[in-house]
Amino acid sequence: MNELLVLRVRLRNDMMTTVRLATGGVCSLAGLSYDGGEDCKVCVTESLLLLLRGGYGEAEVTFTCGDRLHVSVAGIGRQSAPAPSDEDEIAAALLNALADDVLMRREQGALCAIEFAFGLQA
Amino acid sequence: MNEEELFKKYRETGDLSLRNQIVEKYLYIASVLAKKFVGRGVEYDDLFQVASLALIKGVDRFDETKGLKFSTYITPTITGEIKNYFRDRSRLVHLPRKVSELRVGIKKAAAEIFAQTGRKATAKELAKRLHVSEEDILRCSEAGGVVSLDSPVDREEDGMSFHDVLPAADDVFEDVENRDAVNAALSSLSEQERKLVAYRFGQELSQTETAKRLGVSQMNVSRMERKVLQKLRDQLKQTMVE
Repeated sequence: MNELLVLRVRLRNDMMTTVRLATGGVCSLAGLSYDGGEDCKVCVTESLLLLLRGGYGEAEVTFTCGDRLHVSVAGIGRQSAPAPSDEDEIAAALLNALADDVLMRREQGALCAIEFAFGLQA
Repeated sequence: MNEEELFKKYRETGDLSLRNQIVEKYLYIASVLAKKFVGRGVEYDDLFQVASLALIKGVDRFDETKGLKFSTYITPTITGEIKNYFRDRSRLVHLPRKVSELRVGIKKAAAEIFAQTGRKATAKELAKRLHVSEEDILRCSEAGGVVSLDSPVDREEDGMSFHDVLPAADDVFEDVENRDAVNAALSSLSEQERKLVAYRFGQELSQTETAKRLGVSQMNVSRMERKVLQKLRDQLKQTMVE
């Protein structure tokens, strides 16, 4: 299966549930296990929270389903200066613990996008 | 003392108060991570406990000389332990969402009633508070555990497991011997108990409907059903031994 799904959302706390539900649906479509899907939801949420704390007002979540599920979460329109938190480091370590090939993209030192993947056996 | 000094001193002295100091300093990570995994069928308190134990183990294993920050080291360690916990302990059979939600509601309502009255809540009280039938409450309370096929049928040490006594799918009611054994076991029941078996397992009526037909309360049916099943189980086990 080869599918591309793009979700553009405002970075508000009340949108997180919607994104999590959509992510669950995509994971199911991609053939991830229940636990894999739950892990992916955590990773997408963490990425969005990282971008929110990075000063972004919107984000684009792109799912590419192929021989594995690739996810890219990119910030759109930085609205304020980044407000780093203690949780950023935990979030990054958590992403690395749960997903494969985690990549944190930065522009001028500031985080602007997060990419990661899940094998379909996950 | 900074992080490195604290670890170094703990390593040198083995002083548990120093270890506790480190654990308390990083307990927030256990809490943060436990919250991330809520909603997968295991309660936060259990996850926090698993995460906290992983944190304590992590403090003992951490090598501060490798230049890694403790928070960076401990996050995947705790995450791994939580995932292991899910793999090993969480529910093997996923209950329907309605049942899972009702179980949470029952737990909460039971605690509230206990706080108000100082005694355990009855099924009737729980049903009233949660706007569901008593039968739903009882069914839900029974829908909790996952039982291994290798676990013993009862506490007697006769070595019989569920695997030994449960029939294989292809020979369930075809086996004449089994049918004879069931008939013999049923004959040991009273008239009312036999009616209960016929209503509940023959016609597959609900406990409430069965109660109406037998002219007793639904609670009574629930108790009677447990008693009857135990009786049949004992009888069938006896037949198998013979």
